[in-house]
Amino acid sequence: MAKELPREDTELIERLRQPATCRQAFNEVMRLYSEPLYWQVRRMVENHDDANDILQNTFLKAWQSVEGFRGDAKLSTWLYKIALNEAITFLARERKRLSLSLDDEESHLVNLIESDEYVDGDELALKLRKVVASLPEKQRLVFNMKYYDEMKYEQMSEILGTSVGALKASYHLAVKKIEQYITAHD
Amino acid sequence: MKTGKENILDKIGRKDGMTVPDGYFDDFQLRMEAMLPPNEAAESTAAIQPPRSFWERVRPFVYMAAMFAGVWCMIKMFALMSGGAVDLSIDNNEVLTRALSDDNFVYEYLRDDVSDREMFEEMYLDSISVEDMIPADSLDEAVH
Repeated sequence: MAKELPREDTELIERLRQPATCRQAFNEVMRLYSEPLYWQVRRMVENHDDANDILQNTFLKAWQSVEGFRGDAKLSTWLYKIALNEAITFLARERKRLSLSLDDEESHLVNLIESDEYVDGDELALKLRKVVASLPEKQRLVFNMKYYDEMKYEQMSEILGTSVGALKASYHLAVKKIEQYITAHD
Repeated sequence: MKTGKENILDKIGRKDGMTVPDGYFDDFQLRMEAMLPPNEAAESTAAIQPPRSFWERVRPFVYMAAMFAGVWCMIKMFALMSGGAVDLSIDNNEVLTRALSDDNFVYEYLRDDVSDREMFEEMYLDSISVEDMIPADSLDEAVH
């Protein structure tokens, strides 16, 4: 399953600017980006239905503001920003709705992982997901983007508005915690 | 050398073990295409603004610099039209010229610099004696 984001989207941006081809180009955008965005959101919320709703809202918001997209940033950066904002807002709303503290959220996410029906049965992958769920939200986000999507720090920096140095530190801290956890629970 | 922990990450690879319902992404695409509402701003003739070129981004700053340069030029021009720059040389200083051509001013100004001895010498050369200038009775009082 292809999770790589396409890098060359100049032609697509040109078509998005033309009223006659705008809708068709946006359909193309959804076709190209729905999958990578879905996986990123799904890793954050750990539930297919929630990820589906968030992805849907992401594209609706992107479509509503498409005329404001000037092409200064990459399409992928713009869409990632919207999607991750939606995911983070969703998690905050859920914490409030379920009256969860940040620590409670960890066990809530682990419960969601354990009850997830859309898994391939890979025990090691499942174990890693649970460990990643125990990380603080920002570290989890950075780890997911770097480890699973193999995204460059520069693009992550544009999306998250954090310096490359801080992202590297965050990623290495996340990896260290994961390694420690795996060692302790082996 | 890799540790056991790194080997576990290597074994897992980039797999996250998550799946989606069959045909999910195709269905999602179709659902979204049907769901997108009309977007007047993007689909009307008022198309999306093209990306701003380098010139378009720096243009306000260039205009501002040009405006300041224009104001400076205007000030300079008005100064030239109203007699040019202020000349502080003595030759062109009207007040100094008038003062130096006034004998009284020169006399008053220079008097302090002339010693009594010089003054008496000048008087002697001009054949003026002290007695001529000072009344005799005053001179007697000074002597006695």
